[in-house]
Amino acid sequence: MTQGTGQLTGGSNLTLQASSSTPAVTADWEQGVLSMVGESYPENTYEIFDDIISWVELYLHECERPLRVELQLNYLNTSSIRAMIDIFDRLQAAFDAGRTLSVSWLYDSRNPRSAEMGEEFKEDYTFDFEIAVFND
Amino acid sequence: MTSTLTTHRSLSSLRDFFSTERILICFNGPTSRTLISEIGVALKEHIESSSESVSAAMDVFSVYIEMSQNIRHYAGAMAYCDADATATVVIAETSDGHYVVSAGNVVQVGDGASLVERVTSLSTLDKSGLKALYKEQLRQPRQEGARTGAGLGLIDVARKSSAPLQCSLDELGGGKAFFTIRATI
Repeated sequence: MTQGTGQLTGGSNLTLQASSSTPAVTADWEQGVLSMVGESYPENTYEIFDDIISWVELYLHECERPLRVELQLNYLNTSSIRAMIDIFDRLQAAFDAGRTLSVSWLYDSRNPRSAEMGEEFKEDYTFDFEIAVFND
Repeated sequence: MTSTLTTHRSLSSLRDFFSTERILICFNGPTSRTLISEIGVALKEHIESSSESVSAAMDVFSVYIEMSQNIRHYAGAMAYCDADATATVVIAETSDGHYVVSAGNVVQVGDGASLVERVTSLSTLDKSGLKALYKEQLRQPRQEGARTGAGLGLIDVARKSSAPLQCSLDELGGGKAFFTIRATI
């Protein structure tokens, strides 16, 4: 189990604890699931996104199994939105090359802003991008 | 030399001023990332508890975070000394149920002038124009050493505002100026 900022290698899981300005992140190689829960507004996005992007790249390049991305993000600052775009662009490239993958954007029914953010991401991609309430 | 604000009377009149101006939270001084985050959390919780709208709380929080982080990134990129790296941030309520987030900081006069120009050009765009510009900016390659965010963050602030952004620049001498931006949510 990698606790972040280590050198990730193929087959590694990734676990990042949530902080007040960063989400909890878990990436499970065996299950093929990347999950992010919380809010993301760190001053410097590389603090968490470098690890996440490395994991996604490794997973997409070193195995052929499907990837499921589960996002429960209440708020993202603009630099985190940029970093998410970097992840989604990699997913799109893999999808275009025939990979099976999907994104689930889960939002709190009390926070329509999160749903709108998901919609704005979704409109730029063609892979399976589900937007759903998690607490109905 | 004692500050006049150390007396009970002057602090009390400052408090009256805050109340009259409906100021929820204000801050003037050196910042830290923890401070920005803690004030943000307090602000969001306060608005969530006092207003019906979670969206309003999220918008005010988001505008506050973008403005504060822009100031910290700029002061960091310019390697300003403590006196120039301070931020002035005020979040107030209006009598008609809106929120106003204002932020000010010391900038180089030239940078301040381009910011004023940028804010003015954003104020000519409607919501769909702002969205198009936002999406375009999102796809711009990041420049090495760019004073991050001021592009995308500013557009995001404009998108969350219910009225055009306002700004001003007060020259301080020595090639510096105090830039103020004001968003109504």
